[in-house]
Amino acid sequence: MSIIIIGAGEVGFHLADRLSKEKKDVVIIDRDVEKIRRVQNTLDVQAVHGSGGSISLLRQAGISEASMVIAVTNSDEVNMISCLVAGVQDRVPIKIARVRDPEYSYLLPLFDKEHLDIDFVINPDHEVVEMMLKLMEVPGAVEVVDFAEGLVRMVGLPLPLGSPLIGKPLAKLRELYPQASVLIVAIQRGDKVFIPKGQDVLAANDLLFLVMERKKAREALEDFGNKRPPIKRVMILGGGLIGLELAKSLEEQGIQVKIIEQNESRCLEIAEKCRKAVVLRGDASYQDILLEENVGEMDTFIAVTEDDENNVMISLLAKKMGIRRVMTLINKMAYSPLVRSIGIDVVISPRLAAVSKILQFIRRGKILSVSSLPEENAEAFEAIALETSDLVGRPLRKVEFPKDAIVGALVRGSEVIIPDGSTVIQPGDRVMIFALTTAIHKVEKALMVKLEYW
Amino acid sequence: MSFSTLFNLLGFLNLILAGSMGLPLLVNWIYGEPHARGFLLAIAATAFSGLFMMLIFRRSRRDLTHREGFAIVALGWISATFFGALPYLFTGSLASLTDACFEAASGFTTTGSTIFTEIQKHPYSVLFWRNLTQWLGGMGILLLSLAILPFLGVGGMQLYKAEVPGPTADKLRPRISQTARILWEVYILFSAAEVLTLLLGGMNLFDALCHTFSTMATGGFSPKNESIEFYRSPFLEYSITFFMFLAGANFALHYRFLKGNVKVLWRDTEFCFYTSVVLLATLFISLNLWLSIQKEFFQAFRLAIFQVVSILTTTGFATADFEQWPPFSQYLLLTLMFIGGCAGSTGGAIKCVRIYILLKQGFQELRKLIHPRAVLPVKLGGKVVSPDTLSGIWGLSFLYLFIFSMASLALCMLGSDFLTSVSAVAATLGNVGPGLGTVGPAENFAHLSVAAKWILMACMLLGRLEIYTLLVLLIPDFWKK
Repeated sequence: MSIIIIGAGEVGFHLADRLSKEKKDVVIIDRDVEKIRRVQNTLDVQAVHGSGGSISLLRQAGISEASMVIAVTNSDEVNMISCLVAGVQDRVPIKIARVRDPEYSYLLPLFDKEHLDIDFVINPDHEVVEMMLKLMEVPGAVEVVDFAEGLVRMVGLPLPLGSPLIGKPLAKLRELYPQASVLIVAIQRGDKVFIPKGQDVLAANDLLFLVMERKKAREALEDFGNKRPPIKRVMILGGGLIGLELAKSLEEQGIQVKIIEQNESRCLEIAEKCRKAVVLRGDASYQDILLEENVGEMDTFIAVTEDDENNVMISLLAKKMGIRRVMTLINKMAYSPLVRSIGIDVVISPRLAAVSKILQFIRRGKILSVSSLPEENAEAFEAIALETSDLVGRPLRKVEFPKDAIVGALVRGSEVIIPDGSTVIQPGDRVMIFALTTAIHKVEKALMVKLEYW
Repeated sequence: MSFSTLFNLLGFLNLILAGSMGLPLLVNWIYGEPHARGFLLAIAATAFSGLFMMLIFRRSRRDLTHREGFAIVALGWISATFFGALPYLFTGSLASLTDACFEAASGFTTTGSTIFTEIQKHPYSVLFWRNLTQWLGGMGILLLSLAILPFLGVGGMQLYKAEVPGPTADKLRPRISQTARILWEVYILFSAAEVLTLLLGGMNLFDALCHTFSTMATGGFSPKNESIEFYRSPFLEYSITFFMFLAGANFALHYRFLKGNVKVLWRDTEFCFYTSVVLLATLFISLNLWLSIQKEFFQAFRLAIFQVVSILTTTGFATADFEQWPPFSQYLLLTLMFIGGCAGSTGGAIKCVRIYILLKQGFQELRKLIHPRAVLPVKLGGKVVSPDTLSGIWGLSFLYLFIFSMASLALCMLGSDFLTSVSAVAATLGNVGPGLGTVGPAENFAHLSVAAKWILMACMLLGRLEIYTLLVLLIPDFWKK
């Protein structure tokens, strides 16, 4: 039972890396010898050189025994055909394809059982737009992830320098903000992520991961002292697929949008498709266009061109001109740790978005969904509390839970509970657990053993 | 280069080695021999140094770099040679360090050149250890540790590439530990089959085990002075021939064959080439023997096929003193020493696939003279051989011949005669075992000078690790940060 990944680009490579570290058997196929060599030298997976559309090669890679095919090459067509072949020829149970072209996405029945029979279609551009919209809902956040069909929200919030929280132990938080129904599930300090305890003291520049009920997110954050005006004006750099979709969604929310694009005919196209957004033609690397349009007066600047370097440089330029918040699209994952440290507030990688979305889909089984906290050393789980589980039936402070893991939220029916020490978990509750990667095994083990009774 | 990772893993190898020394101790106990103290001392020295290294040095959590992979494999083999020599020293079978190391190196590298003059006079336990080293070295000690140590993960690929012979190393299964386990399983399966066959042919269990160890590893140590000739049994000779032939072919191929893919054998270009070399050489030598010293053709055939397979797979068993054969046959056998078995086998020397590709490219150049504009890639089994692989093959083959000529020169300088020098180096560099001249199948290597023995030991290790893995340690840049 192995997983076959077609395409060893950034998405394929990172998926293979994650899955092989989770003790899955992975075979990866690519046409590029260089990429195959990179995989061979750095990952413990089998790398096969050749085209993912070739039936004989898929056979050779063991497709008849595979439990899953994930097609993430640059070509939508190759991805779809590979999945089709896998399904028709060898009855691979789960097929996942990356399809970027929105033309295909409009025709949703294309992917259903009768036609292409692809179980999960991922569009990285679409994921990026969704992620950016979510981030804009929470001013100041650098990370927003939703759980339990959007009932629970996790927000990554940097602690600003002057915050009254600095130097206070976590146990005091309740006294400071008695009505705030948020829980700190993880703290990133420098490169390190840890699960906090009552006696841990907050420091400046900590990145806090807070869990709250999504509906009450704004109030909860305001109660927590994060009072910022909502976003009203946004400038988007780059009118590609992402830029256009983003502009359309934002103007629907009544946000004022300016969009900068170099290509004249593309500008016309955008102008045609948007109702209110101001489309500007020009090269933003000449400062004048930014000055003319008062970039400093904007609430958020979003750089989503195809060119990573351009995105970063112009974002920094905009920041220099006084904009409070910049969001930057980065394709090369290797850059992302660097970029945050030079002053860009939010970094979004379409590939990372695709990877985490696919991982979520794959693990939607007994463990309901998993999403990755940044830097890949902590994760969030969602699982169902069983009657036989040790978690159930007593106050949380009396439960012996693995170190480096924490229960962040409960969903009982449609009610969201942010737990404290006195909360009692009932059978059937959906439990969100946050854990360091090193502790996942223990948590999983505890849950898996119980799950066998299910 | 993380030295603490390096020493930690070397320490672990020592533990494996110490564990395997327990088996001859068992033999010692079964036969009631008085050498338990020697083995216990050797085990203690090996195990304690291993534990010491593992406790002092910690493995870093990141994966092995490719340089560390090379260093571990090369130093691992060198350290195995030294620690593997301890049982010979401590039981008093061999008095000098040089001789003990030579025997150990010859064992682990599956060469089969020996210092022992009167083999049967040595205790069973020592003979057992001697053949066991070949079996361990045949499929590779590091491959064994990969099979039982899943934690090496990605870094394992570096070790695998550095230890498994052949121009490219393919994984059979997604994980390196699974691949290593499969190879060892096939190896153990074949070994079990051979033990049973040999028992059926009338060998006693001890001899059957020892001969199996050295056959499957293409080693060539025999617990008998006369090697396989001792038994004078056509059945045993043919079955050993068969198993040597298997051991000289690619184990990945065996695995696919055992999985039910029968066609894989004759679809594999290297296997076909290997088989044709065996058949052609056997034909020529049988005819040559038949026309000169043997009256009966079948008798000649029996001697010829055994010797051809034994030399080509770099095993080195003998059923006849081939030094008494006509020069044509002797020369042909010397040539076979350079060809060797298949990639991914336990055989040594340059390997069939490299010879085949080199020949093919040679002829390709000829065709280029006729069609100057033709695009003529070198193909193997319908697939183009990448220029990287090709240049690797050229480099290795040239270095192989270069080291061969330099080492022969050194031996001549140390006073050996021409035939002895050339054949001793060819036989050790190719991991064959017996050479010609004064180191022929009926003689041994004991009379060579100390310096000559160390040169030949280096040749054995160079041959087993396919030159680059060992030679790269001598490049100063390798050790720089």
